[in-house]
Amino acid sequence: MTLLKAKDLTKKYEDKTVVNHVNFEFQEGNCIALIGPNGAGKTTILRTLAGLLKPTSGSIIFNGKENQDFRAFIGYLPQYPVFHPWMTGLEFLIYSAQISNFSKKEAKQRAENILHKVGIADAKNKPISKYSGGMKQRLGIAQAIIHKPKLLMLDEPVSSLDPIGRREVLTLMEELKQDMTILFSTHILSDADEVSDELLLLNQGEIVESGSMKGLREKYQTSMIELEFQFDRDSYLEKVQDIPSVNLVKVERNILFVSANDIEKVRNDILTLAAKENWPLMSFQVNRASLEDMFMKVVNQSCNG
Amino acid sequence: MTLFKKEMVENWRNKKWVWVPLVFILLAVMDPISNYYMADILGAVGGLPDGAVFEMPDFTPPEVVMMSLGQLSSLGVLIIVLISMGTISGEIKNGVSELILVKPISYTNYITAKWTALMLLSWGALIIGMLGSWYYINILYGEISIADFLSTVFFYGLWLTFIVSLSIFFNTISKTPGLVAFLTILTIMVMSALTKVFQHLLEWSPNNLSSYIMQMLIEGNIPSNLTGTALTTVGLSILLLIFSIVIFRKREIAN
Repeated sequence: MTLLKAKDLTKKYEDKTVVNHVNFEFQEGNCIALIGPNGAGKTTILRTLAGLLKPTSGSIIFNGKENQDFRAFIGYLPQYPVFHPWMTGLEFLIYSAQISNFSKKEAKQRAENILHKVGIADAKNKPISKYSGGMKQRLGIAQAIIHKPKLLMLDEPVSSLDPIGRREVLTLMEELKQDMTILFSTHILSDADEVSDELLLLNQGEIVESGSMKGLREKYQTSMIELEFQFDRDSYLEKVQDIPSVNLVKVERNILFVSANDIEKVRNDILTLAAKENWPLMSFQVNRASLEDMFMKVVNQSCNG
Repeated sequence: MTLFKKEMVENWRNKKWVWVPLVFILLAVMDPISNYYMADILGAVGGLPDGAVFEMPDFTPPEVVMMSLGQLSSLGVLIIVLISMGTISGEIKNGVSELILVKPISYTNYITAKWTALMLLSWGALIIGMLGSWYYINILYGEISIADFLSTVFFYGLWLTFIVSLSIFFNTISKTPGLVAFLTILTIMVMSALTKVFQHLLEWSPNNLSSYIMQMLIEGNIPSNLTGTALTTVGLSILLLIFSIVIFRKREIAN
C-alpha cells in the first residue's frame, strides 16, 4: 500500500529552486534512502514532508489523503536536533509523548521503555545540556519514535557520529524497520547500501534515479574481475589480454582489473588458464558495481545532460 | 495544558519567577522610600550652606502611586519585553521548535500557552511589586484603600497585558529575539507619540491608562474614559493574539 506520495513537489526561495517538480512515492514497510550530494535538497524535502516548510507548489498525499495534517503519524529527527537543555532526557521524552496526545501515565511508561531501547537509560535523569553528541542523537531518535509513527523520517542520522555510534544507530534502524516505514537522508552511500531497500537519488533538486536496491544494481551492473598477482604481473598481463573478449580496464600495483560483456565465460577462461599454468595468484574477485559507482554515473549523467 | 506546564516549569527553573518579581518590588518601592527620606539623605550627605532652608514637597498618596507606576512603565516594561522577546522566536532560531512543532500540537495552544505563562509572570510580578509600594505608601504617606489599590493594579495590569500580546505578535513575525524587542519598544514609542499628537482623537489609547488611573485615585471613582481605555486595551490585546495565531499557522518553522 502506498504510504506517501509526493506530486510535483516544488520549493522555491526567491529565485533559487531548491526542489524542482519532484515526484516519488513509497510503500508501507519499506526503508527508503534519500541520497545525493550536499545541497541536493534532501533536508528541504524532509522538512516539507514534516510540515515545517510549505511547498511552493505540488502536493503531498499521505495514506491516500491529500495535503492534510498528518503530523500524528510521523516521527522526525532533524540533522542537528536541539532540545530544551534545562530538561532531563526522561522529562523531554515524557513531554514529547504528552504533546503527541498520550496521558501522563502512558507517556511515562513509553518514555522509560524507549530510553532502554535506545540505550541511554542510565542518563535519563541528567539534564540534556550534559549529554554528548551521540546521546543527543539517540534521544533524538527516541523522541521521534515515542508515538509509534507510521513513517519515521531521519535527516542524516549517522553522519555526525563516531564509528561506534554509527554502528549502533544503524543497528537500531534495522530493528525499527520491522515496525515502521523509514525515510532517511544520507550522503554516506555505504549506510544507504546497508539498511535501505529503496533508493531515491537526488541531484540539484531533482530526482535523477530511483528504484529498489536490487533493480538499480542490475541496471548499473558492470562487473569487473580483480586479479592480484604475487609477482611478475607484467608477464601475465599479456596472457590475460589474449583471452577473447577481455577488456583490460586498469592496472594498479599488482592488481589487474578486467571487464567483459560475458563475465561468466571470462571468469571460467581465466580460472582454467590459471590452474593449468599455475599462476601466482594472491586473490581472485568478481566485483559488483558499488553504490558509489552508480552514484557517480548518475550524477554525472544528470550534470552533463 | 502540557505546553503551558512546560512554560511554567521553564520559567521556574531559569529563575524568572524569582528575579522578575524581585526587580518589580525594587522598582515599585524605590521612589516612595527615596522621596520620603530625601531631606534626611541630603542632610547626611551635606553640601547645603548653613541656614539654607529646603522645602521638600509633600507628596499625596496618589502621586506616590504614580511614581511607582512610572518606574514600572519604563524599566518594568523593558524587563517584560526582554523576558518575552525569545519565547517563540528564540525556539525557532535555535531549532527546538523543529522537534516540538512536528508533533500533533495545535498552533493555537502553542501560542496561548506562551501568552498565558508570560501573563501570569507579569501580573504576579506587578501584584507583588505594587504590594510593596502600597505597604510603604501606607506607612510613610497616608492611606490608599484596598479598593483603590486593587483597581490600580487591575487597570495597570491591562497595560502589561497589551505589552505581552504585542511581544507575542512580533515573536510570530520575526525569528530574531533582538528584533522582536526592538519592534515592540518601537511600537510602544510610536503609539505614545501618536497619542500625544492626536490627544483628542485617541482618548482611549492604551498609553493613557496611567493618567486615567491617576484621575481615578484623585477623584475616588472610575472615570468613564478609564473604562473605555481598558476595553480598548483588552480588545487590542485579543486582536493581537488572534493575528499571532493566524500568522503562525501560515509560517514556516524551519530556517
